[in-house]
Amino acid sequence: MTHHLLIQFVTWFVLCYFILLNGGYLVLNMLSLRTLHRKGQEEMLDDLPRAYSGLEPPVSILVPAYNEEATIAASVRSMLQLTYSEYEVLVVNDGSKDGTLEVLKCEFGLLPFPEAYRRQIKTKEIRQIYRSTRFPNLRVIDKENGGKADSLNAGINASRYPLVCGVDADSILQRDSLEKVTEPFLRDPTVVATGGTIRVANGCEVTGGFLTKVGLPKNVWALFQVVEYLRAFLFGRLGWSSVNGMLIISGAFGVFRKDTVIMAGGYRPDTIGEDMELIVRMHRLLRAKRQPYKVEFVPDPVCWTEAPEDYKTLKNQRIRWQRGLAESLNANWGLMFSRNGGVPGWLAFPFMLLFEWLGPLVEVGGYIFMVWSFLMGEISWQAFTTFMFVAIGLGILLSASGLLLEEMSFHIYPRGKQLLALAAVVLLENLGYRQLNTMWRLIGLWRWVMQKESTWGTMKRKGDWQASTPKGP
Amino acid sequence: MILPTGGIIPDHALAVAFTAPTDPVLAAAYWTGIGALLLTLLLGAQIIRLRMALRRRERREARALARWRPVLNAAIVGETPDTLPSLRKSERPHFIKLWVHLQASLRGEAGVALNDVARRLGVQNDARAMLARGPRTERLLATLLLGHLGDRASWDTLRTLAESPDVTLSLSALWALVRIDPHAAADYLTPLFVARDDWAMSHVAGILKEASAPVAGVLANLLPALPQERLPRALRIAEALRIDLPADVLSAALASGDLERVTAALRIVATPGLRDQVRGLLAHADWQVRVLAAKALGRIGDASDVDRLTALLADREWWVRYRAAQAIVELPWLSRAQLDALQAGLTDRFAADILGQVMAERPAS
Repeated sequence: MTHHLLIQFVTWFVLCYFILLNGGYLVLNMLSLRTLHRKGQEEMLDDLPRAYSGLEPPVSILVPAYNEEATIAASVRSMLQLTYSEYEVLVVNDGSKDGTLEVLKCEFGLLPFPEAYRRQIKTKEIRQIYRSTRFPNLRVIDKENGGKADSLNAGINASRYPLVCGVDADSILQRDSLEKVTEPFLRDPTVVATGGTIRVANGCEVTGGFLTKVGLPKNVWALFQVVEYLRAFLFGRLGWSSVNGMLIISGAFGVFRKDTVIMAGGYRPDTIGEDMELIVRMHRLLRAKRQPYKVEFVPDPVCWTEAPEDYKTLKNQRIRWQRGLAESLNANWGLMFSRNGGVPGWLAFPFMLLFEWLGPLVEVGGYIFMVWSFLMGEISWQAFTTFMFVAIGLGILLSASGLLLEEMSFHIYPRGKQLLALAAVVLLENLGYRQLNTMWRLIGLWRWVMQKESTWGTMKRKGDWQASTPKGP
Repeated sequence: MILPTGGIIPDHALAVAFTAPTDPVLAAAYWTGIGALLLTLLLGAQIIRLRMALRRRERREARALARWRPVLNAAIVGETPDTLPSLRKSERPHFIKLWVHLQASLRGEAGVALNDVARRLGVQNDARAMLARGPRTERLLATLLLGHLGDRASWDTLRTLAESPDVTLSLSALWALVRIDPHAAADYLTPLFVARDDWAMSHVAGILKEASAPVAGVLANLLPALPQERLPRALRIAEALRIDLPADVLSAALASGDLERVTAALRIVATPGLRDQVRGLLAHADWQVRVLAAKALGRIGDASDVDRLTALLADREWWVRYRAAQAIVELPWLSRAQLDALQAGLTDRFAADILGQVMAERPAS
């Protein structure tokens, strides 16, 4: 009898967990709907030519680069052509073993620069600082290998401007993305960080550092990630942002108030998820100081990045992400249910903990338990199918709502065939891919528990979508 | 209750699976799944509907643009046709969007010609109606059109909108008011700009640029009576619009001891008469004041200030060193050779480094 009760308890725990998890995301979805609706009303203002008043805060774009010789030139070129009144680009070569520095020297005419380097945050040794002879606002910091966080910290030390924008070296920014992602800083002096949307660049065409044609990837792994990114950004972040509870700003494209980052001690070099950890830490510290602040997600500044196309690279990336999440939360327990925690401490942190951090454990455990219980005859066929029906049905609903938000707002994929392909992915990704992803996240959690050493990790990049890049400024 | 099956899938399993269970908890889960399925179908239908609506809108827009772009292009080059085609109701929003876009991209005669086309088509009447009763998107569009047209009849409605808490809408209305009558708008807007912190300074400056002369007059009258806590914002507006404020106002702000007021005043000091006060702030305890004082001295300092700025090159704060070095390098009476000699004579490594960096930055800037 006790055994039967235990089985029943676990069954309903797993079912309720799945319903709560997806219900939580649906609520975030509703919050995002309102923001996107309002944004849509102002869409035509975005198309108008913009006049700069000269009061826009200048921005230092930080580009940490480790073995990025395939894509670095096109990425930097795209950053040098952004529409913004005043900004500088700082590429940080983190002891690359390939020809990253040589490519930069050749493409941008770098010469050593006598920089009075300002050490505000401790970093690995700086070998040399270069400045471009073609673009006065481009500098390259060549340093000893120390990881992404260490590179970002070196970039912060060398930066001139009050806002710093971290961009991944394999990314392409849309021309107006910087002016849009800094808009909240103009509007509200309490804003300390903003993040933009990341999209999958595989299948797109890039010419001269600009994305010229949007397309869907042919590779199935990348295709799954297109829908995954829609879901993650359009309601995962926008929803939390609308209640000032956003705990993640993607390292691929985020803008920070430099003084706040320095006050928080910069990026932590001993973590993989340095982007998330910094945001959570900033929440914790600013909440503790009772300082009014905002962390905002801006849905339309688009940063395009190459998604992994093979099983192994994708698996490694997801394992790293999960480790990063675990490290970020574990390092900032002080935020959870803290006296001044507000939405981040009382809602976002527990949500992340319950559904993102421990989620894989419950999800994989739930699937295994259900299959095992069914095979052992502990639960009925009806209970088993109901569980699978709810778990997969809610997953499809969430992915579909991501697609709806995309269709309501940006229509990045204009062709009917593309929409059909995405609709098919919405269905298919819930029949194996999502479960596989959960499995990888569980491995990430396990590796975090075992405290295996954290590194940049190797991202296998093709960079073929950036192939057509003209030379010279 | 859950029914054990002994691990064997019964023949009628599928039928059972798709029949609502009788157990209340299982039934709740089942209906959650059904709800998710129905919602997914609904979302799917909505996505299709949105895509079809978008296609229809794009087609309508393409048709409207094909009809009106040549007319507006002809007007821009001074060849407005004598007889204009009639503007259909369905074409109006697309026409206004195109018209506003062209207006925002052009200057001078072309803008006048576009206004002429809009007036002949009577678009201002539609815009006034949109402004008074339309949804938010239409009101935003109408403010832009009426602003470009300089439509005086909309003044009162625009003023009402300007006071709305909706930041985007209120700023658009303010922009339109400035376009319609810069003098009247300056009288009305300047105190509002000083008062409303929710209006971003860069937007405010962008809007007021077209009325900087009348704003300067209003601001000068406003400053003496302004509450002290509002003064920094007023000074920031003056800085953004490059307005020269009376020296006594700045002098009082510099002497106030209030950090916000002192820094706001330092940003716009341009009168040599205030040189001594600025010099006195070079040793201020707050590094941001020292930074701004160094910058200000770069603008208004004389030859005797080179030593004062050189002393700042060894400041403990990097930004003070950097701005002091910039101020020195920008002094018109120091030649490159003199700068080299100055750098060679520096005994402090930090001072020499920062001066070296700024001198290296100079040729490329």
